Amino acid sequence: MIVELKKFGTTLISRQSGKEAFAVFALNLKVVPKSEKVIVDFTDVITFSPSWGDEFITPLYEKYKDNLILKNTKNPSVEATLKLLEKIGAITMNNEQ
Amino acid sequence: MKIELISIGRAAKILGVSIGTLRRWDDNQKLPAIRKSGKRFYRLSTIKKHLESEFVENSDLVELAWEWVSSEKGKEPFSLFYCSNSAVFKTKLVKMQNKLGSISSLRPIFPLITSIAGEIGNNSFDHNLGKWADIPGIFFGYDEVKKLVVLADRGQGVLETLKRVRKKLSSDEEALEVAFTEIVSGRSPEARGNGLKFVREVVAINKLFLEFQTGKAKLEMKEGKDALNIQSSETSIQGCFTVIKF
Repeated sequence: MIVELKKFGTTLISRQSGKEAFAVFALNLKVVPKSEKVIVDFTDVITFSPSWGDEFITPLYEKYKDNLILKNTKNPSVEATLKLLEKIGAITMNNEQ
Repeated sequence: MKIELISIGRAAKILGVSIGTLRRWDDNQKLPAIRKSGKRFYRLSTIKKHLESEFVENSDLVELAWEWVSSEKGKEPFSLFYCSNSAVFKTKLVKMQNKLGSISSLRPIFPLITSIAGEIGNNSFDHNLGKWADIPGIFFGYDEVKKLVVLADRGQGVLETLKRVRKKLSSDEEALEVAFTEIVSGRSPEARGNGLKFVREVVAINKLFLEFQTGKAKLEMKEGKDALNIQSSETSIQGCFTVIKF
């Protein structure tokens, strides 16, 4: 499954909107088993923040672990946020430039 | 809703300019009038807004925010800077993001400036919802020429907020240090984004300067250094006050 984050907006900054986005998206995830790859594509995201990321990316990682692939993460706010999320969770996420 | 119209004479008096000036401003569309039977009228709200924007243009943004956050009695900030809820803040933040993004020298860094401003502003809303001391919401302003962003809130401050998870904290200085350095991974009793740690990491490795005050504790961070330099300020404030320079 491929998740294009820009479909949730290009300024992804608050905990509340991250939570809302994940609540909607979680319905689609019900049919995606843990063994399947989930690709999160950051193309066209302008601003990303830990609050939003913690509500969306963290629960995705908790379910899919190494099957979660992060793509097109070159934006500096995306890079900095993912670095912090990895530090907080003491994890390393699969990143496919 | 009834719209209050005032004569050109009264508008001139409120603004402290001559009628001739107002006629000229109408002709060149600087301040358009409403024509009725050949005479010029103005909405009172338009005149007030103009007065406010003239005052703001001639004021120092950092001083305006500081006066607002440090005054004993709370009042709503100028509408230009007031975000009464997080939706208004998001709208203004996106506007800032687009403005800064259009400046070529800021292209490599504007997503980071927007992101840390977003974390600080949203922290104010997330931690103070239903607990504002007097004025709900935040002061948020930026100046792309002076290259700075200012955020302030009259909420509970970092010490009160952190005490919910760190009961032993006793001073603003200690709370500020914890907020900027310790990873709080527990999500109880409220979800935490570790936003200020993010701010610290971003400022430490980019061409940014940060000033942050809560209560009477104040910190300053400069590019290339992750030292927090926490000191006591002479003036104690209600909530939080931030200046980001880029």
